[in-house]
Amino acid sequence: MYYKVHHIVHLQYYPQNREGVACLQAPQGKRRLNISMTTKTKLEGLLFVLPGFLYTVAVLGYPLVYNFLLSLRNVDVRTFVRGTSTFVGLANFKALFSNPTFLLVLKNTFVFTFGSLVFQFTIGFALALLFAKRFKLAGPVRGLLLIAYMMPMSVTAMLGKNIFGVSGLINDLLLKVGLIQQPVEWLVNTSTAMIGVVAMNCWVGIPFNMLILTSGLTTIPDSLYDSAAVDGATGWQRFRYITLPLLRPAILAVLMLGFIYTFKAFDLMFVMTAGGPLNSTDVLGTYAYQLSFTKYQFSLGAATGMVLFCCLLVVGLFYLRLIAAEED
Amino acid sequence: MKRDILTLGVVLLVALCANLAAAAPVEVTLWHYFEHEADALEKVVADYNAMQDEIYIVPTFVSRDELMNQYTIGAISGQLPDIGMVDSPDMASYIALGVFEDITDYLKDWDDLQYFYEGPLSSCMDAEGRIYGLPNNSNCLALLCNMDMLRAAGYNEPPKTWDELLEVAAATTDASKGIYGFAMSAISNEEGTFQFIPWLYASGAKVSSIDSPEAVEALSFLTTLVDKGYMSKEVINWGQGDAYNAFIGGRAAMLESGTWQIATLDRDKVHESFEYQYALLPMGKQYASVIGGENFGITTACKAKDACVEFLKFMQSAKNNAQWCEIAGKLPVRRDAIDHAPFLSEDERYVVFTEGMNYAVARGPHPEWPIISEALYSALQAALIGAKTPQQAIKDAAAVINPILEVTPIGE
Repeated sequence: MYYKVHHIVHLQYYPQNREGVACLQAPQGKRRLNISMTTKTKLEGLLFVLPGFLYTVAVLGYPLVYNFLLSLRNVDVRTFVRGTSTFVGLANFKALFSNPTFLLVLKNTFVFTFGSLVFQFTIGFALALLFAKRFKLAGPVRGLLLIAYMMPMSVTAMLGKNIFGVSGLINDLLLKVGLIQQPVEWLVNTSTAMIGVVAMNCWVGIPFNMLILTSGLTTIPDSLYDSAAVDGATGWQRFRYITLPLLRPAILAVLMLGFIYTFKAFDLMFVMTAGGPLNSTDVLGTYAYQLSFTKYQFSLGAATGMVLFCCLLVVGLFYLRLIAAEED
Repeated sequence: MKRDILTLGVVLLVALCANLAAAAPVEVTLWHYFEHEADALEKVVADYNAMQDEIYIVPTFVSRDELMNQYTIGAISGQLPDIGMVDSPDMASYIALGVFEDITDYLKDWDDLQYFYEGPLSSCMDAEGRIYGLPNNSNCLALLCNMDMLRAAGYNEPPKTWDELLEVAAATTDASKGIYGFAMSAISNEEGTFQFIPWLYASGAKVSSIDSPEAVEALSFLTTLVDKGYMSKEVINWGQGDAYNAFIGGRAAMLESGTWQIATLDRDKVHESFEYQYALLPMGKQYASVIGGENFGITTACKAKDACVEFLKFMQSAKNNAQWCEIAGKLPVRRDAIDHAPFLSEDERYVVFTEGMNYAVARGPHPEWPIISEALYSALQAALIGAKTPQQAIKDAAAVINPILEVTPIGE
């Protein structure tokens, strides 16, 4: 699945915390009690944490350490079986960062991520505000929009391949409207292929953004808007001074999660363009895969994976800090 | 999961055998990516399962990409089938990765080995000449022409030279109807390289002399086809199946076509829609084509090596190889199979391909072929979409290929 559901559940509670809704006061009260915990209960606590901890070490820690160690050696098709690989330190990372293809891939990853975030957030937010109006048929229409979000990514990618084909839907529309005279070879040209994949990613990202922002909007009490209206606030002022500040936690979360999910994209490009033409839609995920599974340069593939991991780690830590700051 | 269950089943079976001291066959798995050829495989496997009770072979289809992933993962984890099929240019990499077992000693006393063609057999060997498998079939590329279209444009014969190809392509192209004179695959994987190699060698260049003016000439020729509108730019996203579909759909007058497409042409009953004819790929400085085909090997995780080698020998016997090729639309890998395969001389299409084999070159063998291959198809793509000049594209490819060949030379 593209976006996992448990984040959404978490987020639905999150804005309520900011407003001090009663149910979320309880854990804070409990925290004070913890000070007087006996050693026995502390041990009990650790015991409860243990399964989760072991699970994390097994399924996350082990591959991560394995991958990290692999990225510091020179394992490839020549050294793999003979066991002649040696420790090379950061040589793989140096090789990557002096390789123009890798730098292009890194750039692509950021272009893809920020391109997707800007459009999916703006459009998703606009739709969330629209559907917050609770007009007739708002529910069913919003439900229909979610279909794109529920579709497996490979299906979306196949659709994208057709929609952006030379005789595909987009060209057909643009030709009929008269915006272009000749069909555009979207996925053939290095300059336009990225537009295709970003558009298809937004196709999935817009409903996701809409969903989370809508649930954020429902937590803002109507009474605030009513009293602002009484005080003579315009529509823009109400949006600027009520909606935006109160929605801040949800906005931050949707941007952070969007960043993480988009940055590690793989399936969309793999199916829609195979990273091509000429690496123009290759991102870190697909590039690492090619290095390891097509060219058997296992250590370079592992190093690419580490770069991807580090970027996400930085964003993840940033997100945790923001959450902590909001909670204080 | 399925494999685990299978493995468990085999373990239980073996334990049972030991207990009862009975000779129940050992179940062995065989991985392959054959689609329209699967009938041929199933037939030979069923025959073999019925005629002996040492092993029972279970063929499992795994898509081509996934099969390659599984071999790579298997090289690390040891989770491999007993018998594995592989595309011939990939074999050298998997030998280097330790996926396949050295079966030289098992074949020491097998007289049949002398009948195998050198090219296909060499793709099963490492640099020291040790044998890790047997070639199953060969194929090469030829020019397939829609004769109805060619005649309508005033040509009764397929083109024989590059100049003639250009001329016929120009005459058969009809941009207003979306019909192109020529179609090929220039996709960013091994298929793109496969289809590019004949042009490279026809110009007089080789992979080992990629930084030559001849190589530039070959790439310039294909680029001209796109620039003049005789070939769709979309070929860079077309696999060989996509190009074939364009041809049978009447959207291309000529196609760079493989031997296996004889079987699909028959399946699709193309002769009912229009008349087609095969010819050698047109001559540049010389005729050239490229050898394709699959090999079968015994993996290092095989449970019954002796018995599985016996199966390979059976499958690749002259008679069975001939039968296989007739069902699957392939060329045999051994000289003496021709005695059992009258279709090779009776069917004009096979006659063209058999002649083409005389000019066909092998890819590699080289353990780093995937990297060389990427450099080649990237050059092709860059030139076709105009991102680089043919000169620059070839220069960039040479910068990747030459250092690799300096360490491990390629056998050409």
